[in-house]
Amino acid sequence: MLVLYPFIYGFLTSISLSLLGVSLGELFTVFLPRVRTMVVVLYVGLFAMSFDFVSGYTGYLSFGHAMFYGIGAYFVVLVGTGKIPGLPAETPFMLIIVLAGVLAFLAALAVGAVSFRLTGVYFAMVTLGFAEVAHVFIRNWSYVGSNPRDGVGVVGRDGFAVGIPGIDALQFRLGRLAGDSFENVLGTGIDLGAAEVSFYAVGAVVLVCYFAMQRIIHSPFGRVMVAIRENEERAEAVGYNTFWYKLGAFGISGFFAAIGGALFAGYRRSVAPENTFDLFVTADALLAAIIGGFGTLAGALYGHLFHEFLQGIFTTESSGLARFLRDTLSEGILSAGVGEFTVLEFINVFIDGRAELYLGVIFVAFVLFVPRGILGSLRDRLGGPLAETIPERLRRYRR
Amino acid sequence: MSLLEVEDIHSYYGESHILQGISLEVEPGECVALIGRNGVGKTTTLRSILQLTPPREGTVRYRGEDVTGRPTHEVARMGVGWVPEERRMFSHLTVDENIRIATPPGNSVEAAFERAYSAFPELESHRGREAGDLSGGQQQMVAIARGLVGDNDLLLVDEPSEGLAPQIVAAVAEALKTVAEESTVLLVEQNFPLAMDVADRFYLLDHGTVVESGSTENVTRDDEMIRRYLSA
Amino acid sequence: MTGFELTATALPLFAPVEITLDALSKAALYIVIASGLSLIFGLMGVLNFAHGSLTMLGAYLGGAVMVALVSSATGQGMRLLLFFVAVAVVFAALTAFGAGVERVLIRPIYDREPLFQILLTFGLVLVLDEAATIVVQLAGLQPQTEWQDAIGTAPEFLAARYDIIGTSTRGLYLFEALVGLLVVTAIFLFLTRTRYGLYIRAGSEDPEMTQALGIDIRQAFTVVFGVGSGLAGLAGVMLMWDPRFGASVPLGVETLLVGFIVVIIGGLGSFKGTVVAGVLVGFVDAVMSWLFINYIDFPGLPELVMFLVLVTVLVARPQGLFGVEEVGGH
Repeated sequence: MLVLYPFIYGFLTSISLSLLGVSLGELFTVFLPRVRTMVVVLYVGLFAMSFDFVSGYTGYLSFGHAMFYGIGAYFVVLVGTGKIPGLPAETPFMLIIVLAGVLAFLAALAVGAVSFRLTGVYFAMVTLGFAEVAHVFIRNWSYVGSNPRDGVGVVGRDGFAVGIPGIDALQFRLGRLAGDSFENVLGTGIDLGAAEVSFYAVGAVVLVCYFAMQRIIHSPFGRVMVAIRENEERAEAVGYNTFWYKLGAFGISGFFAAIGGALFAGYRRSVAPENTFDLFVTADALLAAIIGGFGTLAGALYGHLFHEFLQGIFTTESSGLARFLRDTLSEGILSAGVGEFTVLEFINVFIDGRAELYLGVIFVAFVLFVPRGILGSLRDRLGGPLAETIPERLRRYRR
Repeated sequence: MSLLEVEDIHSYYGESHILQGISLEVEPGECVALIGRNGVGKTTTLRSILQLTPPREGTVRYRGEDVTGRPTHEVARMGVGWVPEERRMFSHLTVDENIRIATPPGNSVEAAFERAYSAFPELESHRGREAGDLSGGQQQMVAIARGLVGDNDLLLVDEPSEGLAPQIVAAVAEALKTVAEESTVLLVEQNFPLAMDVADRFYLLDHGTVVESGSTENVTRDDEMIRRYLSA
Repeated sequence: MTGFELTATALPLFAPVEITLDALSKAALYIVIASGLSLIFGLMGVLNFAHGSLTMLGAYLGGAVMVALVSSATGQGMRLLLFFVAVAVVFAALTAFGAGVERVLIRPIYDREPLFQILLTFGLVLVLDEAATIVVQLAGLQPQTEWQDAIGTAPEFLAARYDIIGTSTRGLYLFEALVGLLVVTAIFLFLTRTRYGLYIRAGSEDPEMTQALGIDIRQAFTVVFGVGSGLAGLAGVMLMWDPRFGASVPLGVETLLVGFIVVIIGGLGSFKGTVVAGVLVGFVDAVMSWLFINYIDFPGLPELVMFLVLVTVLVARPQGLFGVEEVGGH
């Protein structure tokens, strides 16, 4: 489904049919995330999955996870601006990504080595502490740029490309402005804009990472991770040295978090402390993982899709619900209301740019009432991973 | 009417089925002992009576009133006192404060001190010390004193002699006898002679059920039934 | 590396006085910020991530009381008196709010893993911060920057600077130290002299035994969560006049992190530890701020060092300075 999204989106939003005087195409524009939003879903989704990989599967809440995302993102920009000795600005993006991952892997091992002596709240706190040290540092480190608090961007360098380095035909540059676009791909008559190219390129990397994490979780290593979450004492009693497993999981998680951050920076070409190392970036992963389903891996991506979906609806931009309602509803309806408080006022106060409020409320509701999240609850219902149970169900209905 | 009636209760820790249908009764003024090996459910029985581990099946009636599933503090306020295993001192509170907190609101704290320290004169000189700094025997006295000042008609006493030196056990036994004269006691005790000495009746537990009960008179360790269930 | 050059300045003779004055006011603020967090964790084992957001609400609410009641004609003494009115209003409002939150949202999840309590209170941060943003914007204010009108309601004799032994300090900072001392004394008396304080200290040690003595521990949870929230709000009222802080939405996260640092260094759940750690962190902050101003050109220095101290304490002595030796139990 996700693979065809750009086409589905393109088709639905261009429908010129009208229903009750409302254009269906416009309605879809309001309610469907744009393709470039889907790029965000992919890389933040990867970050959220990496968070779920360690926190959802071992039960250790990594409250400083933004640190690894930030390391990945800043590494890309620092290489891109020629500030990493030994790595020219034109270093292939694929190599930068891997190096960023390795760097975060090592950082995670270092943080984990001291943090995994603690559990529960204490573990969450110490990881948060490390991330805040990094956050404060990056906000004030003038080597990054003249105004480190505002972040830094890449100028001059070509777009960061996903693909096989050295073969130009198999390289696809990312970005809204610096990205590639193709007309009439392979003679099929299909045009791919910069957003679509970025969507597929980023999606390919995220998919590879997802499968890699999925493999690990279904390996014996992953089973020990789950055993740690269920009952760490028992896992130890059976003879596993849980410390090394936790450390390994944390390192791997850091690696993939950094790749998420690197894709973000490669696509956006700029970074700032508040969209990388900040506590609220960790919060995004947390929200996604809980809403999607803690300990389901893929759920985290869907959780963030939901996040962006809400944000897309409540955005103040032209594709948002607020603008749509203001344009669609008649003057009479807009000015109706009790005294000063009109429908228009209601739209402005409670709809225009208010996604975060509803997201917070939904998050609290999930914690209280749907602790297993969307995917987790579905799996409970159906009795197993969807990929396995849905074909089985369909077969049953067909008979 | 019995003061306490426990009827066929089943209690669990997580998924382990600890009490598998315990029934017992305690009449006003009695001292009843629960005996049996480690892990047969004696402590859990006391916890289930207090609703600290609420039974999933069966009923607990106190003064004829069904208290199953009620909050612990309500059962406690009805006059059920607990002198728990390992004494559970508030170790950072002073001896005085340990007594004070056990005194029901509205009762005179001075009267409570009077009662506690006349029962255990040894504690008087330690009133201002943190309870955690006391010896094991002194802590046991504080634990019993907490039960005494709480206006309790039924005291659930769990392993009072555990981990104490022999000469102190004797003192604790004396204290228990005094307490048993004033109020009704349900006693869990590993020390068989002590239990038989203090209690009027006993229930013998095994695997979460009552296997034997009767008067403590003329029961000796050599009794075949007792030996079978008490020896490891 | 750039950014770390030492700037050569002669060591000011009165540096210790200057640092101490700064440290005392910061210590007072940090203790008040952390005290509610400490009480709540001590009794209930819940690390309340929404604590900072409650402080933020307190700052705005206190500011609203002051801005509504103070006009340019209001006398200086009257303004001081109104400060205490604001304290009372905010404390009452947030205590009620906190008690409500405990009853409705937190009570249902006590028997779940502690993870969920963190998640829930963290969700509250998102909701409260966003709700505050909406209201503040409706009132025509800028949520990201300090509310200057509220800062402006401080009496002149607090806003002014005074010369003390060769250095100068704001009257407000001395006032904060004084209010902090009052608050600590009040909490201490509450804990040691009242029946409820006794319940709280006992419940922190052994909730089960406390219940078995006939004490309604759930009710105590509600009261403590309420009082803890009220204290968070009170901290906010103290901050609304302070030009270093001021009422703004980001104040929530800022004070939350400080609160975490203090309660963890002091030992989660130990009020004594919180007080000692508050003084310690106040001094660390003051010394580092002084070093930054005079020698080390790195604006994030105080914050950086505070977090480093936090991490060091967690790694070396996770139970904190005065915590109980049961590490990571929660």
